[in-house]
Amino acid sequence: MVNPLTYVFRPKVTEKFEFSDSELESLGSKLRTKVNRVFGHSLAIRELDSGSDNSTEIEVSNLGAPHYDVERFGISFVASPRHADVLLVTGAVTLNMAEAVLKTYEAMPFPKFVVAVGDDACDGGIYKGSYAVLGGVDKILPVNIKIPGNPPSPKEILRGIFALVKNKENEN
Amino acid sequence: MSSNKDTVSSLMPAGPKLRGNYQISGNSAVLETPSVLATRHATDLMIDIAGKEPQIEKGKNNEFYIPLAEEEFLKTVPALSEKGFILTSLFCVQDLEGKPGFTLFYIFRMNSSTDVFAFMRHVRKETTSIATVFPSACWYEREIRDGFGIEFTDAFDKRRLFLHEAYPEGFHPLLKSFKNRKIQTVESPEEAYPFKQLEGDGVYQIPVGPVHAGIIEPGHFRFSVIGEPIFNLEIRLFYKHRGIEKLAEGKSPSACIPIAEAISGDETVSNAVAFCTAVEKIAGIEIPERANYLRAILLELERIYSHMGDLSGMITDIGFPRMTTPFLILRENIFRQNEFLTGSRFMRGTIDIGGVKKEISGESLSKLDLYLKIFVPQFESAITAVYTSSSLIDRFSTTGVLKKKLIAPLNLTGPIARAAGATYDVRLDHPYCIYKDMPPERAIKMAGDVLSRFEVKAAEVLNSASLIKKLIASILEGAIISETTEFSISNIPDGYALSMVEAARGQNLHWVYVRSGLIDRYKVRTASFCNWQAIEHAVLGNIVPDFPLINKSFNLSYAGTDL
Repeated sequence: MVNPLTYVFRPKVTEKFEFSDSELESLGSKLRTKVNRVFGHSLAIRELDSGSDNSTEIEVSNLGAPHYDVERFGISFVASPRHADVLLVTGAVTLNMAEAVLKTYEAMPFPKFVVAVGDDACDGGIYKGSYAVLGGVDKILPVNIKIPGNPPSPKEILRGIFALVKNKENEN
Repeated sequence: MSSNKDTVSSLMPAGPKLRGNYQISGNSAVLETPSVLATRHATDLMIDIAGKEPQIEKGKNNEFYIPLAEEEFLKTVPALSEKGFILTSLFCVQDLEGKPGFTLFYIFRMNSSTDVFAFMRHVRKETTSIATVFPSACWYEREIRDGFGIEFTDAFDKRRLFLHEAYPEGFHPLLKSFKNRKIQTVESPEEAYPFKQLEGDGVYQIPVGPVHAGIIEPGHFRFSVIGEPIFNLEIRLFYKHRGIEKLAEGKSPSACIPIAEAISGDETVSNAVAFCTAVEKIAGIEIPERANYLRAILLELERIYSHMGDLSGMITDIGFPRMTTPFLILRENIFRQNEFLTGSRFMRGTIDIGGVKKEISGESLSKLDLYLKIFVPQFESAITAVYTSSSLIDRFSTTGVLKKKLIAPLNLTGPIARAAGATYDVRLDHPYCIYKDMPPERAIKMAGDVLSRFEVKAAEVLNSASLIKKLIASILEGAIISETTEFSISNIPDGYALSMVEAARGQNLHWVYVRSGLIDRYKVRTASFCNWQAIEHAVLGNIVPDFPLINKSFNLSYAGTDL
């Protein structure tokens, strides 16, 4: 029988990482609590690029890098829309992607939420008026939260996700 | 020009043939710069084909524009191929300098030459393809067909390129008659895109995308597979086509900088510098020394963070997170340096026509220098750890080999070409910015596999870091934006110019045509556009589970291709 106390006192196996951001940590722990309560301990996000310039994707993928490491706050990025609670869309919706965006959304189970990340996803950004884009994500999907920025930083994206979870809690 | 072939030969029977403006008096052993040599090659070539001196319009910074009649053109193309010229870009301009109709620009360069030749061919609605001589012309011609509706009657591939099924037939957005606006899309297209069909015992297809399993841009890959090995791969892109070239039309050059920055996220500075350089060439603006240094520092920072993403990505794709984290940590630190220096993690809104918008203080630069002192040993230790893992080396080496013989015909550039034995680097071969005085070291490997690409990118990170340190050490005080007296930035004279930069992925080519102070045509060709075609070759014979690794080792931009 393993003494449960050893789990508390034995040294951690992960390397010590000399970085701490108090604002991020407090936002993260609040998010953790809300995700536990509202989403049953885990919030699964499917990222979808509908025509961005790729900078927003880079920032979204940075959320998983060691400085942010959002998995510890109960958030995970999943491979399939069928596993997702949230569709996180970056970029203005191009005509060439419109069908794929719709199909991805349709593949998600209910209840489902859409977050638009970056100026282009919010309202078309600099591509407004181009023949090749429909505009922001809200042109074809119901959008729950918009996170502006060119591109928004990982922390801003996390704040947006927090706002979504908080709104859901208030609705319940 | 007065001299003809015979007189020049008779004047100098023993020496090399010299033509036109480039006759050098005295002995023939005078040192010739590559530029003079290449121009002579081109002139000789024209004379051999057409029997007369070509009408070379000398451009700025070693660009030469050569208008050709149809007959001359058809004779020139095979000769260019024989002489080893490389097709760098091909694009179309409507109503060039008030001349109605279409002008096709065929951009060629030669290895070991700083010169670039643009052969101009005037065409109507129909013309002939050069894809049988230069296979890489195929995508360009399909692009021109979509954009302008020009039919290449004998082309072997007439499928649409960037206009997918949602676009109606007969719609050509780059025609001047089309004013940018929303269009009526096709609701449920009758025909699907005709992929190449390969048939045989045990051959089956695996369709992947456009939406992939990770946080990655959209694109479609159609694998034809026998068992596990890949037998054929067809890549279909342009899902992110945002109409960038049309968007630039009619805008002022300054208003176009954010558009250039949005071509591809992690090539923000490269594309902004390329665009501004082209405009500066048209206007004849000399940018101040300090601005040149600052631009180079930002360009190299961009290369560092871009390569760091690839290095960590390659290790992630073989499931080795312990090795990945040091690169991710260092990369985030570079992002923070970017933000500290310019206020943007991607260094957006910093480059301007005539220099840079924001002053970066000496204090900030010495902080960057201090950080690089920490960065370099940490990076080196992460790399050493990678090279000591035998299982990692086993997955990387001999995987996804890119053959050297493909480099010139497909105009492959950047680290992927240098990992297969190419030496070409725009910074050294067509120097811009500060690179003439401060050349970076070349990083070259021969094997062309994933391991070589990893090694080249790792070496380039260190080279860039040491270059930044040198730049910081020798930067001068002074203006950061040129003060033009003859005209203001809002009043750029008419004209066109071409510029090239070495982005993290390779050679990006921008061609800008300004008319009445506004952009009349903006053509961008990023390295990704050419390099994507290399993947179709590099994956052959590899197993499907290695595809993500091979793809990541190339790390091409979808946005930069789709425009």
